Amino acid sequence: MSKLTFHIGGVHPDDAKLSHACAIEVLPLPPVVYVSMAQHLGAPATPCVAAGDRVKVGTVIGEPSGFISGYVHSPASGKVKSVGPRKDLAGHNVMHVEIEVDPEGEEWEEDIDRSDTLVTEIPTDHAAVVEKIKQCGVVGLGGATFPTHVKLNPAPGSKADCLLVNGSECEPYLTSDYRIMLERPQEIIVGAAIMQMVLGGCRCVIAIEENKPEAIKTMEAALAQLGYKNMEIAVLKKKYPQGGEKQLIDAVLGRQVKSGALPISVGCVVQNVATSLAVYEAVQKNKPLITNTLTITGDCLPASAQHNYLFRIGMPLSYIAEQAGGVPESAAKIVSGGPMMGKAVANLDATTVKGTASLLFLSKETTKRHPEGYCIRCAHCADSCPMGLEPFLINRLYKAGDLEGMEAASAQDCIECGCCQYSCPASIPLVDNLRMAKGQVMAVIKNRRSNGK
Amino acid sequence: MENKIVSPNPHIHTRTSTASLMLDVIIALAPSMALSVLFYGWSALMLLALGAGFCVLLEWAIAKWMMRKPQLFCPSAAALTGLLLALNMPPSTPWWTVLIGAIVAIGVAKMSFGGMGQNVFNPAITGRVFLLISFPQQLTTWDIPKGFIGGIDAVSGPTVLSQAKLGGAASVADLDLFRTFLLNPGGSLGEISGLALLVGFVYLLCRKVVKPWIPLSIFVTVAVVSSIFHLCNPELYTGPVFNLVAGGLILGACFMATDYVTSPMSDWGGVLFGAGIGLIVMMIRYFGSYPEGVSFAILLMNMTVPLIDRAFHRKKFGYGRA
Repeated sequence: MSKLTFHIGGVHPDDAKLSHACAIEVLPLPPVVYVSMAQHLGAPATPCVAAGDRVKVGTVIGEPSGFISGYVHSPASGKVKSVGPRKDLAGHNVMHVEIEVDPEGEEWEEDIDRSDTLVTEIPTDHAAVVEKIKQCGVVGLGGATFPTHVKLNPAPGSKADCLLVNGSECEPYLTSDYRIMLERPQEIIVGAAIMQMVLGGCRCVIAIEENKPEAIKTMEAALAQLGYKNMEIAVLKKKYPQGGEKQLIDAVLGRQVKSGALPISVGCVVQNVATSLAVYEAVQKNKPLITNTLTITGDCLPASAQHNYLFRIGMPLSYIAEQAGGVPESAAKIVSGGPMMGKAVANLDATTVKGTASLLFLSKETTKRHPEGYCIRCAHCADSCPMGLEPFLINRLYKAGDLEGMEAASAQDCIECGCCQYSCPASIPLVDNLRMAKGQVMAVIKNRRSNGK
Repeated sequence: MENKIVSPNPHIHTRTSTASLMLDVIIALAPSMALSVLFYGWSALMLLALGAGFCVLLEWAIAKWMMRKPQLFCPSAAALTGLLLALNMPPSTPWWTVLIGAIVAIGVAKMSFGGMGQNVFNPAITGRVFLLISFPQQLTTWDIPKGFIGGIDAVSGPTVLSQAKLGGAASVADLDLFRTFLLNPGGSLGEISGLALLVGFVYLLCRKVVKPWIPLSIFVTVAVVSSIFHLCNPELYTGPVFNLVAGGLILGACFMATDYVTSPMSDWGGVLFGAGIGLIVMMIRYFGSYPEGVSFAILLMNMTVPLIDRAFHRKKFGYGRA
């Protein structure tokens, strides 16, 4: 099995998987949970409970409010205290449902199978499975939280010939995908087989980076044992951003998704391993997506304070930090997500959502931004850009306000992976400016489209 | 939650900085500098120290007092310019020429264009060419001062390139080219050993500070052009091996033409840039009035960089093959 990787750009940050050996622990519920209605990409869900209602674990508390939207379920049994706006981790007001958790014993919705028995039989009714995935509120857990049922339901005329299950976890520090591949490999593979069936029995490749040899071994053993057809494990070189959809397709299949197009245009659907697990739980166990795994790690946490937690949605981040021993003094920045693409936490009282992958505590030494220097034209930014863009050029065009130039330089293709800014020796905030440039160009393109060119 | 930084991604940064990149180039020059000090003694040490010292001082003073932008000052970059300037001078150069060279390199070629990253011409080469034209005698006297290691059998006199210019290829036919490549006292400080320069360049390649395309393109072009001429008239035109090891070609190709600021930003642009340098070098060596043309070739091609950068772009993802 040869090691694959994408062909343009990329960087090799220290992978710092400090918490890789920490087994997943189940976090107990806090006394109160606050469930955000914006758990997914697209329109936030509409709350369908009111203060005073009793809910069980798995009760629907939010309904989709558009095509790209999703169901939200209660992560706890108890009484709805309030429904109203609350600040998310960036400090924006988002509709939340506040639930007072029953202090003793929890009550689950009756039709949820809570046993550990592995159900390997793959259902065959496409529509029913997609509907089940939708009803259970499954969203992509690789970062973008795109509703999974939409992705598994390609537009008429396009057909997938390959399902890529992304276990590359190329972001430094994160280990939650690694842990679920070690601890729940069979469920992930069954989940992949279900999605494979939904897509019409296409080929399925589970892609894992070479820095996770244990996960590769475990997943290969599980696959051999389950014996699904047309499914394989691919070993990838360690390179960031391998887990990016377009990069992963290039790495495994050597196909380039055209600018502005979706993976399905080259016959691919990409799903994360954690999504695969959520699909398994939804379809085989009827369990809605109310749990996920997160990593608590960072270079200023001692080894004893590193954890991988199975959390429920709606838990305040401050509560999780406390469970892990509190916010370390030396932490200069708290990040939710990986250090390359994650979001800085501005509000630790924000609560977990389906896509929460980590809580990183980074020291000043690691995370501080150096003062912006002068471009020395070294071209490291362009060499590292996985989209083949020239960040130095787009940066200059952005500062000059040259919209046409930015579009010609393809600012709209930027995936905001952070490679250019990471590798800039002059510490120029390239991603900040490219994100702005991309926003402006996207607005122009959208306008042009709505004006019929 | 107080006192925590909140800023957009990425939240980590490579340890490489402008200063560390420049330091890497200085480290790569260490073997050549060590050899030149060993063989040329105090005078080489003085030239290197003065070059670096003057340049650092000048850049600091200009950034702080004239441009009022102290953050423009980068000691390792200024020191590198000074060291390269000194390495491009004969060991017997008087100290005051170094000062003038530094003023032209830092003051004129670099800071008056806006400082770090803004200059069109390679500062060290601009300084050297200014000196070569203004003080031709001092810059082309190849006396060999007493070194820390005795027993060099090289003699003072015209360089092999001057001999070839005057007497054609036949006059340098019995030169031991391999020895010239290993150790060749008699030229500028940095030309003492092609091997030492290449060792330094391999270090830069390993550290991924530079890419090999520009020097490779220069070497290939020089080899091809001189082979063609040499085959046509071996008596008159020197051959490819001679032209690769003689003079400042290796120093210029590996350390001056690869300067980030004054070279193209794309790989193919670099190849074209290198080919242009190689061609101009050979034209000057064969037909020009100077025996050596590496400095002129690099300066001439520096001017074309903005155009080359306009013409050569990277292959973007999602535009070519489906």
